[in-house]
Amino acid sequence: MKASLRWLRELCPQLPDDAAALAARLTAAGLEVEGTEAFGAGTEACVVARVVSARPHPSRDGLRLVVVDRGGREQEVVCGAPNVPDPGGLVVLAPLGAHLPAKGMTIERRTIAGTVSEGMLCSEAELGLGDDGSGLLVLPAGVAAPGAALTHALPGARDTIFEIGLTPNRPDGLGHLGLAREAAALFEVPFPPPSPTRGADATDGGEKHVSVSIEDAERCPHYGFAVLVGARIAPSPLAVRWRLSSLGVRPISNVVDVTNLVMLELGHPMHAFDLARVRGGKIVVRRARAGEAMRTLDGVDRTLHDDDLVICDGEGPVALAGVMGGGDSEISASTTRVLLECAYFDPRGIRRAARRHGLHTESSHRFERGVDWGDTRHALERAASLVSTLAGATLAGRTHLEEARSLSRASVTLRCERVGALLGAEVSRSDVGAILGRLGFERQGARDGADTWLAPSFRPDVSRPVDLVEEVARVRGFDAIPATLPAIRPSRDAAPRASLARRARAAGVSMGLSEAISSAFVSRPDLHAVGAPAPAVSLRNPMSEEQSVMRTSLLPGLLRVLGHARRHGEGGVRVFSVGALFLASAGSLPDERLAFAALLAGERPAWLTKPQPVDVWDAKGLLEGLVQRMLHREDTVRLVSAAAPPPPAFHPRGAASVEVDGKVVGSLGPLHPDVADAFELGDGPVMVVQLDLDALDAVGARPVRFAPLPRFPASARDLAVVVRDGVPGGDVERAVREAAGELAEQVALFDRFVGGGVPAGHASLALHVVYRAPDRTLTDAEVDARHAEVVAAVQKRFGATLRA
Amino acid sequence: MTEIPASIEPSLSALRAAFPARFEAAPTEQALRDENAKILGKKGELTAILSQMRTVPPEARKAIGEQVNALKQAVEAAFEARLRSLARAKREQDLSAPPFDLTLPGRPPAPAGHPHPISIVRDEIVDVLVSLGFAVHDGPEVELEENNFTKLGFPPDHPATDMQDSFWVDVAGAPPGERRTLLRTHTSNVQIRAMTTHAPPMAFIAPGPTYRRDDDATHSPMFHQIECFLIDRHVTMANLKGVLAEFAERFFGAGTPVRLRPSYFPFVEPGAEVDVGCPFCKQPNGTRAGCSVCKRTGWIEILGCGMIHPVVFESCGIDPEQWTGFAFGMGIERVAMVRYGIPDLRLLFENDPRFLAQF
Repeated sequence: MKASLRWLRELCPQLPDDAAALAARLTAAGLEVEGTEAFGAGTEACVVARVVSARPHPSRDGLRLVVVDRGGREQEVVCGAPNVPDPGGLVVLAPLGAHLPAKGMTIERRTIAGTVSEGMLCSEAELGLGDDGSGLLVLPAGVAAPGAALTHALPGARDTIFEIGLTPNRPDGLGHLGLAREAAALFEVPFPPPSPTRGADATDGGEKHVSVSIEDAERCPHYGFAVLVGARIAPSPLAVRWRLSSLGVRPISNVVDVTNLVMLELGHPMHAFDLARVRGGKIVVRRARAGEAMRTLDGVDRTLHDDDLVICDGEGPVALAGVMGGGDSEISASTTRVLLECAYFDPRGIRRAARRHGLHTESSHRFERGVDWGDTRHALERAASLVSTLAGATLAGRTHLEEARSLSRASVTLRCERVGALLGAEVSRSDVGAILGRLGFERQGARDGADTWLAPSFRPDVSRPVDLVEEVARVRGFDAIPATLPAIRPSRDAAPRASLARRARAAGVSMGLSEAISSAFVSRPDLHAVGAPAPAVSLRNPMSEEQSVMRTSLLPGLLRVLGHARRHGEGGVRVFSVGALFLASAGSLPDERLAFAALLAGERPAWLTKPQPVDVWDAKGLLEGLVQRMLHREDTVRLVSAAAPPPPAFHPRGAASVEVDGKVVGSLGPLHPDVADAFELGDGPVMVVQLDLDALDAVGARPVRFAPLPRFPASARDLAVVVRDGVPGGDVERAVREAAGELAEQVALFDRFVGGGVPAGHASLALHVVYRAPDRTLTDAEVDARHAEVVAAVQKRFGATLRA
Repeated sequence: MTEIPASIEPSLSALRAAFPARFEAAPTEQALRDENAKILGKKGELTAILSQMRTVPPEARKAIGEQVNALKQAVEAAFEARLRSLARAKREQDLSAPPFDLTLPGRPPAPAGHPHPISIVRDEIVDVLVSLGFAVHDGPEVELEENNFTKLGFPPDHPATDMQDSFWVDVAGAPPGERRTLLRTHTSNVQIRAMTTHAPPMAFIAPGPTYRRDDDATHSPMFHQIECFLIDRHVTMANLKGVLAEFAERFFGAGTPVRLRPSYFPFVEPGAEVDVGCPFCKQPNGTRAGCSVCKRTGWIEILGCGMIHPVVFESCGIDPEQWTGFAFGMGIERVAMVRYGIPDLRLLFENDPRFLAQF
């Protein structure tokens, strides 16, 4: 909501002229002033000038040399405007040095087509007073003597405009009257209630021109109207035009401008019909019939819904009630008889209609928040009076108000101690009374420490005692409330998911991964490409097709992160995400499962040596580390080669499902190159680890128990065997462990070598075995004997040969 | 005195005279050990000399034996001394060798991982509030309209819902009916979840992702909030201010001022927006000079709050005459941007490795 300081002070002259002070006080009371701007700043240095003579420029078509009287001295100015008035006409001169912020220019001595010009005659647009840049601003005759400062001649050329961010509960702030009343209460100055000036005396009754019937009292409790005859449609006077412009409303014509002025003043939207085009001389307020059609003022043909409220004439809809008028009945240059409408519509219905038709108008904005239903007649009278003044019209009869349903003001009883009990600050009953009184509440009765208050009709947000407490709190200011730490009675955590997520994040970071937070919105094709479950949650109103369903896999989000990184030349990516997957369930809400996924791409960190690209064993090591950190069960991790066909996200050679303690908890493998292509990732291996954290959590962490440290020395032996390529290293390792039996404290496969002296189709595997007994020192002979059994077992089982 | 046979005495003398030089001449530990073995080993020179003992008359053997032992001890002592001197020389050589090239890059013990700044800030906020006495409560991201709006007192068809433009969703397999579902627009749904499953008093926080249909330089359709609410017999707005002041003190630093401005959220009353003193333009005397981060105001808005509206209590079956409470909800992105001076919200969701590595 834009608000004019000048207008506020016209309505309440005792308000301070200090814009900053007013803004600070309004903000502190909950009507946040988000910005302040100067209107007509360019007019400051400008003066009224009288045209003395004008002649064509000697050498340049379209330019004229205009001599103006700027108060005691004459000056010649080069002017390109088409509408230089005849001698005697008044225009606005921006003299040398004048700054025009609207055009970002400062007037300097210029030579135009060989003629020196020391000033500029200005248009409204150049002065920042309106949109009209088509010609000079011509002032009304006699407005001021030549040489007078423009801001002195026409004070409305200068104003301070506040941008107020109103919360939806304060429709009363959507008009200057309401803002002035609020400000008066805050500054504790008297607020004079407005007294509308009545128009000229009635000639005949308005009901002779039009009859009104309300068919839907629920949606239209009140419908007021006034008929004005003999209107002459013309542009509004400058002061009106500038006021509307300063508040962001485009001036149109005197009658339409009046409806906007009244809306900006009283917060009550109005509509003006050309009565000649209201067919049948009657107005019917009713619900639209499904499929009924009308064209609104914006030129759009609309198909109506049976929940829409419409204003009809004798033949059909002429306005979408409270939202927008119809194109066929609007005021035009030839209008002479005007029907002014001022109604109270049910806020919820207006909101539904406005949203249904994708319209958000100044009118619907106010109606859906709740206009002041007690102000309808006043608004009509104010508008009728203005139309009389500006368009020379005569009010036919009087204003009419049809009340199909009576509305009542809320009555609220407030126990005084309730205020202090909620705020934690003592507030006296008399202070409460004074504040509420200034805000327009009326005390109806007082009993046993409780007062009953009647809320004003412009405060539809007030209906309960706590609403009154808030009024008191915000007018006193929140600074008046002390800060006191409460003694908090502790609750118990009810957040298994939050703590699990936190553990998983800590594990990921400790494994050298960085955390990515990517959108939970994905596209169906992305989910399909990675072989994730079909989406269970789809958005009805997504931002785009790419963000139209909720993820069932973290992979698409991470692959987008990788794609972004690679496009920016960052090949080394080690990232993880923790977040919910939205899976199908039997209930109203999806099964939100907490998942972890990680990507490794680029090169493994190396030091002063040629780095190598990551491979699937990096993924495996990462997985084991994660399980170790989260569950202390790394020894129970098993990778099970995926059954045919492998999951589509993975390269078939490396795809595996992950088991911990015999339970499937995730998957792992190199990304399938086709998937990399689908996400436009370019070349280079990508390793993926995915974990179902809920499943992992169900396996549970192994409790940490102290194990005694060994007391006797260990003996180590190495063993190198050559086996066929197809023999899994893990099988050899396991065979060694089994053969070494209880004496093997540790078995580690530490080298795999191919080529050199190793026959083709074979690999040399080197293992390190540490033997130790818990109760004695093993003798060399004992260890040698056991190690020989190990060698024999491996040779026998895998046909391995011992490598020298 | 018994005469010593001529064959032993010269040999002993010769060895006695020669061994120090032989040890001195050994250039390495191994050479020294070899030399020592040649003298004292099983087949060494001293053993060879001793083997002639049988030629010595018994009465002379004692004297010879003493000489041999003395020589043996002398050899051993010399060996040990030479061993030490060799070790020392080796140590000296090592110490005086050219210095290491410390300009070569350091070798990290393991690649460093980085939590996302949103996580860092969220965990810090959680830790501060937990230390003040709040417990953590989960809540779903896909939510029923009644928990996200209705029970929080959002009137149907009311412009208040414009403040939180929603993503409405269809859940596959959901039973048909009037229960509309959406992505939660705030973490305040957890208030309803907690109040309908726990009896007061309660003191909870609830961090998590939230969703609104906004996308520009300051809004992301997915963002993160943390909810905090306290319900007890006599909770006051002064308590709310107390918790906020303590939070600001601990999270933003000592002496950080807090300001409440009245505002409107349907589920609280009175409602307020909360500013903290800008951490970037703080002056030594505690005032704020104004800067681009705080748009020259000296204040940064970080959250919305208020006293829990009686209608919320009523919709959860809690008697508002018996219980009062406060609630606040903080945008984590906003706090992270302020904390780290991140100029554009979108940086948080691009997850560029060069960005993530900074935290």
